[in-house]
Amino acid sequence: MQDIISVKELNKHFKIYKHHRGIMGPLRNLATRESTLVKAVDGINFVIQPGELVGYLGPNGAGKSTTLKMLTGLLVPTSGEIRVNNHIPWKSRTEYVAEIGAVFGQRSTLWWDLPVIESLDLLQHIYKIPEDRFQQNLGEFRELLELDPFLNTPVRALSLGQRMRADICAALLHDPKLLFLDEPTIGLDVVAKERIRRFIEHINQARGITVLLTTHDLSDVEKLCKRVMIIDHGKLLYDGKLDLLRERFGEKRQLIVDFVEEYEIISIEGAVIADREGSRITFHFSGQDITASELINKLSAQYRIRDLEVREPDIETTIRRIYEERLLE
Amino acid sequence: MSHTFNIYRHLISVNIRGQMQYRVSFLFDVLATALITALSFGSIALILQRFNNIAGWTVYELAFLFGMAETAFGTMDIIFSGFDPPYFGRRVRLGTFDQMLLRPVNLVVQVLGSQFILRRFGRIIQGSIILLISLTHLEIQWTAVKILMLPVVFISLVIFFGGLFIIGATLSFWTVESLEVVNIFTYGGTELMQYPMEIYPNLIRTFFTYILPAIFLLYYPTLYILDKPDPLGMPPFSPFLAPFVAVAVFIVAFAFWNYGLRFYQSTGS
Repeated sequence: MQDIISVKELNKHFKIYKHHRGIMGPLRNLATRESTLVKAVDGINFVIQPGELVGYLGPNGAGKSTTLKMLTGLLVPTSGEIRVNNHIPWKSRTEYVAEIGAVFGQRSTLWWDLPVIESLDLLQHIYKIPEDRFQQNLGEFRELLELDPFLNTPVRALSLGQRMRADICAALLHDPKLLFLDEPTIGLDVVAKERIRRFIEHINQARGITVLLTTHDLSDVEKLCKRVMIIDHGKLLYDGKLDLLRERFGEKRQLIVDFVEEYEIISIEGAVIADREGSRITFHFSGQDITASELINKLSAQYRIRDLEVREPDIETTIRRIYEERLLE
Repeated sequence: MSHTFNIYRHLISVNIRGQMQYRVSFLFDVLATALITALSFGSIALILQRFNNIAGWTVYELAFLFGMAETAFGTMDIIFSGFDPPYFGRRVRLGTFDQMLLRPVNLVVQVLGSQFILRRFGRIIQGSIILLISLTHLEIQWTAVKILMLPVVFISLVIFFGGLFIIGATLSFWTVESLEVVNIFTYGGTELMQYPMEIYPNLIRTFFTYILPAIFLLYYPTLYILDKPDPLGMPPFSPFLAPFVAVAVFIVAFAFWNYGLRFYQSTGS
């Protein structure tokens, strides 16, 4: 099948001008123009097939949003090639954006003072959506995203989760082939996150819409994406299956135990002591050797425990580790 | 094309409905704008009572300049309020301009449709009343050319000021700090055009003749309509340059806008 997105040697460099402070600051800014070069995106290559659901992962400032802005045509690359759905995004802007949907988590695409339903009606005109198709889509999304309770509420009065649902609906009414989501679950509670994830999964599977979503929340990716791409400092560090990534680089799980007293020797098969602070001991273990409950059972059978906590490896640490230890180079 | 116009109509109607949500504030705004216009002309009129004329211009002749400039600027300010530099600058700063780039509609149409400040009607109403008073008191020797000049000058002024707004808005792709400078040309330009050009020092007049040729938009057509002699000794076709100057400024503004857009898309915000 032909690639729906293809990105070759993509670069985006920014010049950041030094800002002087004080009254004469603006004048000195103009006079000196000292700048440093920031490589926000630094030589990225990837392709995405139609119908894929790909997670684009990385810590804040890694270059995720910059990549997404180039893919949606908001930014022009410094160099390199992007083809999305047979368009060069920034060149044929109006034709291109009619075929994609995009939601940038922090900013609503809807009209602030208008009730949600009127914003959606306006989008019908803007995208020239045929009436029957519009009604059909709207009907389906209203149900799946549970929009009805706030369909007549002005956008400015919506909660973050409601606004995100309305925005996602707005991005899909014109039957785009591709959906770009920038941090779709940022700032949402667990229930709201789950609802949005289920919906994304649904439109990907039932409608075959290709989805690329950026996030720094591992649980988004775990639940949704088979494939992840990891970016840090503008470079693509990993592109492949999520499972493989965890197997190769996943941190050990941690069990932190506060014992009632200080024990000299503690040894449990399958777990190693990573840290010891008085009566608090941190064990590292891997799910293949021993489960958390087995470990806790064994410990509590032999020692008196006051409190304990299991820490799962989080993606931030994994990515950090991959980057710092140059695991992928 | 008709689709684009249709979108424009929808965007405007959305905008107006939004403003009507705050009905009381809307009425106060209209009143306030009208009052400001009345006061500023009132102050000229007061001075005139003492001195009879400014540089040989009677109160009704000045009222013609004033009424025309106000009405045209007010009209422009409604149509082009999306390009109002401080307003558009805020849009760029907050990143909401990106939403426009994501919609399959011409950007200028979207910006024009993003704001339509009805309360500026106050300025138009007041301006046209002053213009009407002036026209009824002046004994103009009407000819076909003079009659035709009224709408042409009016439309030229609207286009000219619109071009200045677009240039000012475009600057916000580069800077968020110095947009006040633009107001010197837009708001300052209107104020300046409300008075006869011969009262200004040479330097200012040269600037508004050769660099930003505002002098041809209102001053020269007015000299012609009122049969006043040209104290500055410009060529005899000067009164007829208004539409050409307006269109030229607009073309420059539009080219600058496209250039700014490319800059914005290569740097982000």
